[in-house]
Amino acid sequence: MVAPPPQIKSVIFDSSDMILQYGVALMGAGAHTSRVVRNMSRIAEAFGYRVAITIFQHTIIMCATDKEDSSVRQTLVTKINHQPINFKTISLLSSLSWEVGDDHLTVHEFKHRYKEIVSKQRLSRWVVLLFVAFANASFCRLFQGDFQSMLIVFFATLGGFVLRQELNARKVNPIISVTSCAFVSSLIGATGVYFGWGGTPSVALAASVLFLIPGVPLINSVIDILEGYTLMGISRLMGSFIIIICITLGMALTLYLLEIHSI
Amino acid sequence: MIYTEIVLPVLWDGLFAAVAAVGFALISNPPKRAVFACALLAAAGHAMRYCLINYTSIGIVVSTGLAAFSIGLMSIFFARRIHCPAEVFCFPSLLPMIPGMFAYRSILALMNIAREGDQQHVQDAITSFFDNGIKTVSIMLALVIGLTLSICREKSFMLTRVKKEPRLPAAQ
Repeated sequence: MVAPPPQIKSVIFDSSDMILQYGVALMGAGAHTSRVVRNMSRIAEAFGYRVAITIFQHTIIMCATDKEDSSVRQTLVTKINHQPINFKTISLLSSLSWEVGDDHLTVHEFKHRYKEIVSKQRLSRWVVLLFVAFANASFCRLFQGDFQSMLIVFFATLGGFVLRQELNARKVNPIISVTSCAFVSSLIGATGVYFGWGGTPSVALAASVLFLIPGVPLINSVIDILEGYTLMGISRLMGSFIIIICITLGMALTLYLLEIHSI
Repeated sequence: MIYTEIVLPVLWDGLFAAVAAVGFALISNPPKRAVFACALLAAAGHAMRYCLINYTSIGIVVSTGLAAFSIGLMSIFFARRIHCPAEVFCFPSLLPMIPGMFAYRSILALMNIAREGDQQHVQDAITSFFDNGIKTVSIMLALVIGLTLSICREKSFMLTRVKKEPRLPAAQ
């Protein structure tokens, strides 16, 4: 049996940990599972070895194996640190996975580019806040709400989203944070029903909490299930389901307090 | 006449869907160059869905599927142009179609079943639960199946590759 060339061996031990970190960042940013697996395998391929990857909700397990000599291998397990969804990271990291092979990046250059991408700043929270409020108000219009309802939803979203940003910054448990945001939003949204403002007050109440619906995780979960990553898909679905239950709880509290019977 | 009653509502629908999509997209920190594409796709997709729901009788589920399918097709074009994974602007443009209201209404109905004593109210709540719940699930499936049918075959993962031809390795 021919011993593997020493440089291959050292590449596995040098870069596999980096690839795992890359996978964690991509998973944490909210990419669907097949993309993560594909991108990690592509980078490993570019460095000249094979990887087998298992992804669970909180861990990634990766085994890197030399192509010729399967006794040269390394298995790594690490925790996924879930971050808010970040499309910019997903996009740039996906490009990076191609660049590794196309531009023959060294492990060091790969590491450098990776660090550069994950340390990029997010959009200013105030810009996001304003746009989300406008978005939810337009969303109310899509459900045939009138102008007064749009205005109510605008302020409901403003209140709820500020609270969400504050609670997220303080790392409050998402169940508590979503329930209280839904409560605040629906309370402001219910002013229309309570005081009889506008022609479509119940639309305003119904639309006021919609910005909390976890849309991207829901889409990701169905994609995962359809692509055969059933476990991951179900985990994500369960997570989204719990968030939706929290939204409903917050809303039910408002309905109960103001004695509104139907929306 | 035809303008104010048919064309104008569709245009308004597209416009508000675009604002909604961009706003919800910004929560997920998209690359700046994807935002415009996302607005355009959301407007086209949602306006199409509005037309299908209101002017044909195929229902909300099939309409959503068809709209998602066409958003997927259009997104391939944009993904090639600006080298982003298709999901970066597909997902946000689908967000206005997510059946959020159906979803929490079905849970609300469940809570009512648990709470109500009156038989008539319980029956109403059960009807509401199944009505909203089945709509939620089928709209979600229609969204994703429509999307994957259009972008899966196209190998959306090729689209982030900036150069198609790998550079030759340096002299070895």
